[in-house]
Amino acid sequence: MYQYIRFGTYVNIFNTVIPLFLQRVLLLVASDVDALCACKILQALFQCDHVQYTLVPVSGWQELETAFLEHKDQFKYFVLINCGANVDLLEILQPEEDTLFFVCDSHRPINVVNVYNDTQIKLLVKQGDDLDVPAYDDIFRDEEDEEDDSGDESDVSEPSEKRRRFEEDVIERTMKRRQRREWEARRVLCSFILSFCFSLIKSAMVMFDLAWIMSKDLNDMLWWAIVGLTDQWVQDKITQMKYVTDIGILQRHVSRHNHRNEDEENSLSIDCMRIAFEYDLRLALYQHWSLYESLCNTSYTSASLKLWSVQGQKRLQEFLADMGRATKMGLEMKDLRVQTFSIHFGFKNKFSASDIVYATASLMENIEKEGPETTNFIKALDSLSRGNLDKLHQGLDLAKKQLRAIQQTVASCICTNLVISQGPFLYCSLMEGTPDVKLFSKPVSLCLLSKYLLKSFVCSTRNKRCKLLPLIMAAPMDVEQGTVIMVGIPPETESSDKKNFFGRAFEKAADSTNSRTLHNHFDMSIIELKTEDRSKFLDALISLLS
Amino acid sequence: MAAGGTGERRGLAPSLPLAAERRRFPRPRAAWRGGMAGERAAGLVRELHRAGGGNLPPFRAEGLRQALEEMRALYERNQADVSEAKSGRTDLIFLIRFRHCCLLRNQRCVLAYLYDRLLRIRALRWEYGSVLPNTIHFHMSAEEVEWFNRYKKSLATYMRSVGGEEGLDLTQDIKPPKSLYIEVRCLRDYGEFEIDDGTTVLLKKNSQHFLPRWKCEHLIRQGVLEHILS
Repeated sequence: MYQYIRFGTYVNIFNTVIPLFLQRVLLLVASDVDALCACKILQALFQCDHVQYTLVPVSGWQELETAFLEHKDQFKYFVLINCGANVDLLEILQPEEDTLFFVCDSHRPINVVNVYNDTQIKLLVKQGDDLDVPAYDDIFRDEEDEEDDSGDESDVSEPSEKRRRFEEDVIERTMKRRQRREWEARRVLCSFILSFCFSLIKSAMVMFDLAWIMSKDLNDMLWWAIVGLTDQWVQDKITQMKYVTDIGILQRHVSRHNHRNEDEENSLSIDCMRIAFEYDLRLALYQHWSLYESLCNTSYTSASLKLWSVQGQKRLQEFLADMGRATKMGLEMKDLRVQTFSIHFGFKNKFSASDIVYATASLMENIEKEGPETTNFIKALDSLSRGNLDKLHQGLDLAKKQLRAIQQTVASCICTNLVISQGPFLYCSLMEGTPDVKLFSKPVSLCLLSKYLLKSFVCSTRNKRCKLLPLIMAAPMDVEQGTVIMVGIPPETESSDKKNFFGRAFEKAADSTNSRTLHNHFDMSIIELKTEDRSKFLDALISLLS
Repeated sequence: MAAGGTGERRGLAPSLPLAAERRRFPRPRAAWRGGMAGERAAGLVRELHRAGGGNLPPFRAEGLRQALEEMRALYERNQADVSEAKSGRTDLIFLIRFRHCCLLRNQRCVLAYLYDRLLRIRALRWEYGSVLPNTIHFHMSAEEVEWFNRYKKSLATYMRSVGGEEGLDLTQDIKPPKSLYIEVRCLRDYGEFEIDDGTTVLLKKNSQHFLPRWKCEHLIRQGVLEHILS
């Protein structure tokens, strides 16, 4: 029924994806770590089969459109990674008839037009991934039903029959009207469901599945799939359950590729790359830092220990002093360990997946370098290759700075009570003079800051109602142009399914107040707006959501 | 070298004391107008040697002319002195021999200069292809340009004769290639680049492409594209 590619059957691959492998292709890749990993896997596959491609990084809808317009004369096949599924692509890009789009996007919900388009748009999803897409009949009503109404009236012959037919007509018409009303009600319900944004499957894992089905998967690609999954977990975009399930799936692949390490006689040379499964501590970058620093700068520990207060510091000292003992002194940290993978090559180089995620993300959002933004993308892409260890180390240094800045900002926000409840949501705004505020003018850093802030706030407040509220965070983006970047994140609860309704809410609020907003990011819950319009925008949001 | 100074001035008796010479010509080094013998030619060679790495510095026509002028002057003086020496003045023989050595040295320097430049120009054909960038063209003299054209023709004729019907382009794949297709990254905005089969690629800064090796090699050498080894 659905016209997209499910990687269950081999035949499907041949019919739909293989023709791709004979032409020249344009890859449009979004700017996040998951997209980078998916891109690397796809590049490796293309290089294996000598498919000529061109790679263009895009960071928003405008760039996507510009790149498409520049290249549409030269390419017929486009692959979009982590962008393009949640809007009507054909309407925005207006392509030719014979252009073909392959979209591998982890953003949900997928726009219904993209799903039901037979010819030009192919979506890559994993088998078993339930898209929650309503049935075709629920959304698109055939036009033939409309014509019957007008046809009946002209078809009248005799009076007695006329009367009978008139009654029948009336009955029919009321039935139709009722059906139509029901249909419209269902449609409204569907659009309500579709207004929640969330991420489900990682593009990197979809790409790895593709490689596996084509029997071209390598240890390198497996590592990139792991990094893509860990990125979604670090950014808190998937639930713990889903993370553990996916770790299980990847663990099977890891043992398949890396079983030779356990055999003493036939083990590989120490220089070969190997991946190992670990049940490791949940501390950020703790292999590249002192344990103390790592404890201070991981959101989980700093929120549980409440490290922004003096009491918290004392508790940290006690925790460190008691670490030799088996008991944990009554602290609420149950999930200090997490299942993850780590990579080894050579004698010195051992990195865990979350290290790579932090390093790559901070390289991509590096504010220090001048030049076009694509330079950062290229650097981050390079750092994922094992030959570029210097870039990886640079990324790790930047990540340390970023985590420290986040923790300090969180501590100052909580101590100065900058997080205020606006009714249906919490709101926090960073002032211009705050140290390191430039770091938070980038979307992923700001999202990370907001998540950590919400976690810490939930631990620090006593107000039961506030603990269940979502958070909107604002930071100055460009001082000269007077713009502000605003991010909305879902509430922090144990059983949350991480669905985010702010995308639609922001759109509606912007429409109703005529604020000058820019919905440029692929993730709809991140927008930019003019500083002057901020207050009326927030008022509109409050009235919308309460 | 400075010892040759006293004998070089015409019209002065060779028996003038050295102190008086120094008073009259205070600079001990530059004993005659052109400077030390062979200095001009040696200067050409030195400059060429300093511009290492296959670069072609501008053609020093003036320096070459001065070196040749020096050689001509030395030769004329030698001519005159030889006829005098034949008619009895044997003390001039050392002077004649000295001037002859200077002449030979100048000849070596000038020949080395010209030949080294030709070798570099030849290497440029293999590196840049048939069309040289304008900056390099300005550095060549007219004769060198003509030599370059003749070399190009000769190379083209040879390449056509080798390798069957279509000929073999020897200037590609100078190192054995590891793969048919390579991944390249664009270092600066170049615009549209047309490939043999008619398709065009838009080369924008920081875009990456996966193209056949033979189509990218020239651009890599020019510095527009960068080969990425993953």
